[in-house]
Amino acid sequence: MASLITCPHCGTRPKEEFSIRGAAAPKRPAPAAKDEVWHRYVYVRDNPKGRVLEYWHHVAGCRRWLVVDRDNFTHEVFGVMDASDFERVRGVE
Amino acid sequence: MTSYRLGLGGEINRAQSLSFTFDGRAFKGFEGDTLSSALLANDQMLMARSFKYHRPRGVVTAGSAEPNALMTIGAGVRSKPNVRATVVELYNGLVAASQNRWPSLKHDVASINDYLSPFLGAGFYYKTFMWPALFWEKLYEPLIRRAAGLGKIVMQADPDRYEKSWAHCDLLVIGAGPAGLMAALAAGRAGARVILADEGFRFGGSLLSENAVIGGVRAPDFAAGLVEELATLPNVTLMPRTTVFGWYDDMVFGAVERVQKHLALPSPDLPVERLWRIVAKRAILAAGAEERPLVFGGNDKPGVMTAGAVRTYLNRYGVAVGGKVAVFTSGGSGYRTAADLVGSGVDVAAIIDTRSQSSDPVPQGVRVIRGGSVIATSGRHRIDGLIFERSGFEEVIGCDALAMSGGWSPIVHLMCQRGAKPVWSDDRQAFLAPDVGAAFVAAGSAAGHSSLGDCLKDGAVKAHAALEALGRLVGRLDVPEVEGEYDSAFAPLWYVPGAKDKAFVDFQNDVHVGDLGLAQREGFGHIEHTKRYTTAGMATDQGKLGNVNTAGIVAGMRGVSPAEIGTTTFRPFYTPVSFGVLAGTARAEHAAPVRTSPLHGWAKKNGATFVESGLWYRSAWFAREGEKAWRESVDREVLNVRENTGLCDVSTLGKVEIFGKGAAEFLDRVYSNGFLKLPVGKARYGLMLREDGIVFDDGTTSRLSDYHYVMTTTTAYAAEVLSHLEFAAQTFWPELDVRFVSSTNQWAQMSVAGPKARIVMSRIVQDDISDAAFPFLAAGEVTLRGGLRGRLFRISFSGELAYELAVPAGYGEAVADAIMEAGREEGICAYGVEAMNVLRIEKGHVTHAELEGRTTADDVGLGRLMAMQKPDFIGKRLSTRFGLTAADRLQLVGLKPVEADKEIKAGAHLLREQAKPSLANDQGFVSSACFSPTLGHFVALAMLKSGRERFGERIMVWDGLRGAEVLVEVCPPVFIDPQNAKLHL
Amino acid sequence: MPINLLHRHVLEDHISGFETNANPNHLSVIRRPVIFSVLAHAGYEAAVAEALHNADDIASRYCSPSEFLAVSQTRGAGSVAEFLTAIPGASFVNQSDGFVLMAISGPSVRAILSKCLAVDLHPDTFGEGHSAAMMCCHVAANVARTGRNTFELLVPRSFAGSVFDELMEAGSAHALTRGFAD
Repeated sequence: MASLITCPHCGTRPKEEFSIRGAAAPKRPAPAAKDEVWHRYVYVRDNPKGRVLEYWHHVAGCRRWLVVDRDNFTHEVFGVMDASDFERVRGVE
Repeated sequence: MTSYRLGLGGEINRAQSLSFTFDGRAFKGFEGDTLSSALLANDQMLMARSFKYHRPRGVVTAGSAEPNALMTIGAGVRSKPNVRATVVELYNGLVAASQNRWPSLKHDVASINDYLSPFLGAGFYYKTFMWPALFWEKLYEPLIRRAAGLGKIVMQADPDRYEKSWAHCDLLVIGAGPAGLMAALAAGRAGARVILADEGFRFGGSLLSENAVIGGVRAPDFAAGLVEELATLPNVTLMPRTTVFGWYDDMVFGAVERVQKHLALPSPDLPVERLWRIVAKRAILAAGAEERPLVFGGNDKPGVMTAGAVRTYLNRYGVAVGGKVAVFTSGGSGYRTAADLVGSGVDVAAIIDTRSQSSDPVPQGVRVIRGGSVIATSGRHRIDGLIFERSGFEEVIGCDALAMSGGWSPIVHLMCQRGAKPVWSDDRQAFLAPDVGAAFVAAGSAAGHSSLGDCLKDGAVKAHAALEALGRLVGRLDVPEVEGEYDSAFAPLWYVPGAKDKAFVDFQNDVHVGDLGLAQREGFGHIEHTKRYTTAGMATDQGKLGNVNTAGIVAGMRGVSPAEIGTTTFRPFYTPVSFGVLAGTARAEHAAPVRTSPLHGWAKKNGATFVESGLWYRSAWFAREGEKAWRESVDREVLNVRENTGLCDVSTLGKVEIFGKGAAEFLDRVYSNGFLKLPVGKARYGLMLREDGIVFDDGTTSRLSDYHYVMTTTTAYAAEVLSHLEFAAQTFWPELDVRFVSSTNQWAQMSVAGPKARIVMSRIVQDDISDAAFPFLAAGEVTLRGGLRGRLFRISFSGELAYELAVPAGYGEAVADAIMEAGREEGICAYGVEAMNVLRIEKGHVTHAELEGRTTADDVGLGRLMAMQKPDFIGKRLSTRFGLTAADRLQLVGLKPVEADKEIKAGAHLLREQAKPSLANDQGFVSSACFSPTLGHFVALAMLKSGRERFGERIMVWDGLRGAEVLVEVCPPVFIDPQNAKLHL
Repeated sequence: MPINLLHRHVLEDHISGFETNANPNHLSVIRRPVIFSVLAHAGYEAAVAEALHNADDIASRYCSPSEFLAVSQTRGAGSVAEFLTAIPGASFVNQSDGFVLMAISGPSVRAILSKCLAVDLHPDTFGEGHSAAMMCCHVAANVARTGRNTFELLVPRSFAGSVFDELMEAGSAHALTRGFAD
């Protein structure tokens, strides 16, 4: 029937407003990174069961890319943040 | 007379008589009746035939768990099969028909199955109809389906309306019985937004059926009082006739409201059913408890029903289910039923209590047999007696109805729909709701409470807890005194031993105890296997009545507790939901949103035939009088563009406005070719790759001012490209100053192509558009004669001199009309996407037929657009992988037939001459093909192994699907004007 | 030769026919509003939002922290563009023909819109002056509450006919009437 995602910019919305891209953990490597690093980034995914970070695009809302922290088994959502903020935090780490 | 309407009593309106028919016979009932109560009032106990054995069946319950009394309701296109008579609100003119019988309900030929039943045990079909395999689908299954059955659907379009809606609340209360009403009142008085939903047409639940006095008033009147107050609260929404059928992620509940299902002729302005998606902060499940049947020999005869159902028919509908009713019980419910019957002047044949001791009050003059077991019943279309056994002695008792009670099971279905399993309670001898968190809790008998007083109190308590969690101040809600309670305690007996007839566990699917035993013996012991092997719990009632007994019996057979057996998986829907309401308004022309171009009206009046492209409707070709085949129109349009000029609607191409000081750098990183040096006033063709080095999309981007660009994308990839740009900007390079917004909807865009395009366009555009002033790939704002501002791009997909003019959408039709008028003397024509496709194939331009997710820039001859000197662009790094640069990759080539009249079709494969068709011999495939009116024969674009080295070679186009082989010559993919002279006219 | 170009509203064909008097529940289509997409560049988001909020005769519709729609039913496109040019850190583009502006009002407005969109429109959560981008009739739209019982919808032009039909269908049980605002 529905699942809801709470967008940090728009509020609580049905999943139909979003499109999911996949895991947010892989980070685009530097252009000069090793072949193996690029290969992993483009092709290799862990596909874990449980808590994952995913890119969701709020297509029918603010059109911002979001990072949804959720359990892909129970669909419990632990948090949603703007992807730019996520990258900024990840960049600092 | 066996079952009949009492002279007095019941929550029915005796002043309002209603007429209805059942199997063609006319009956009368009252307002407030259900179909089943009205049938019983007319002594119609026989209501159905069972699924497999075609045994006569009556009604077992008075509610939504009913397994037997399935009927087809309504006539003609509105007839609906498999409706439970127990939940059908009676209306004037209702037409009901029994199912699964021939020639009549009373004389059903297929009831022979009952006599053959020793051969028809669990797994019979699987074992018998195994061989030969082909026969299953063709012969056995159709035969079985015809013999075993439910009602038949009507194959005509549903004439009624359905809709869907959203609702939001602080607290959703599911069920308006004692606990639900109290919960709703507590929350409603506290000011919370409350939705109270109940599947029935009248609120009150068990209060409408019970003979108790609450706070000094009769239970039904007490319920009416609460409802009256709730109705005055603006923050409370009352939803009768609404079944909450599912609990989904994030506290979204699905519910179906039967808006007009209780009306013979629904109003066309209203939907007959409405699907609700209810978003609740908190929810309380107050769905009550289901009384368990006892599993004994002959327990499925018409006239055998749950004790609670007997009380409901008696107290709520004023119907005595029999003239002489026997009671078979393992707890207090049977005694209460006997007392109510006696109180209404109905004879009670005896109370047979499975327990050897009990302290339940016995109505005066009623015989009680303690420690007794019913082992068989007699009568065919209605029970006429029973045999019970006690201490080794058997005795026959005459009766025309039998009330049975095997204890109570809380209705916890909804709380188990998201993976949690119900929890067995030794104390309550029942499966209780699992702990699914504080947001969704059970209350009242759904939470295992057994007395009415406890249920009322529990509703208020659970509501208070929810309100506190929501941060609302709550006052005290006094729970009134209940007089006349009975002790509903019971001693469970899963299976009554000594049965002399089949003892049914699942009435609807005809599963009896013997089947469960067989499943255990044959190794289908796990409850999920037992279910599938025997079909117990797989009928439309989803085992509401039978599943707990099944678990109990299987536990008994294996000598373990029901806790170890557990239950099968609970899934939505709680009760059947019509497809109509799930579709809502999304059918016929509303099945999907329709997207139309600003030039839709213009295209229509010029005779366009439209083609769906995603959600868009694009003009495919413009047939003129006398043109019969689409090819005639397309050939004419192509030739006219090549010779004169034509106008094509390209408004559906994606358009993205790009702003910012970082825009140039950004474009340089998302396109494989360079964009840093694109000057203002120029357009450039660009190629976008995916990160794996494969081509993603192509289009042109024009620089309108220093920090403002407009990008065009293909129609198909407009949404994906914008998402891709946003992703890159927001996650890869958030430091770049760049912003996007789609302007696809703002512009009506027209391509005017052909050698006479400039003559025509100069009559429309005020600015100088000569080749010197506005050369190939010029782009910028222009003013139209008359003052309108637009954008003009000198780009060409057709290979001809061409201009793309964009004007604000509202002016699109007027401008297109003006261009057609201005080009009349030059012979301008409208052309559609089919002609555009021919033009681009002739010119060797690629689309997503070639950029199909496997091709690199080099594959399609665009290797020069790979600006490898740039430090980074999306797809650069992986584009140099060995696999993507191998010499034998498929490369874009042209094909022309050796014999000019031969046809080439897209999708065909390429083979060396004389080679056998095989995967190993496959040389590639035809990506696009068309008849070229310019050249007078078919031409094709193809992806061919090492194709660019093979110009001049003859190869075979093998079309295995359509059985054609055509010899062709490989050639460069550009068939016309390879020097691009026409672009620079 | 100057050419005389007529502007045509995309809902012209949907609304043509006999005119009715507006019922209490009414859908009103604004014929020629001025609508600009306004994009705030990094660091200017709050300032742009503030400037739009304070603008005279321009309603600001929230799309995202860095994107707004500036809507005016009284000012001309040139005047709005001039105003937007003066806002530091803002880029903008005229989208007056890219969206269709509809106002739906009446006592049943929430019931009607609940069939079209999933967002809770209760005044406690979606009060007057509030606006947001959301899916409405399966289409990405912008919804604003402009009165207790009035909402304004901005719908992409190419989908406007489809959305309009769905709104009328949703309103049929509430005797929803429709017409151009003029």
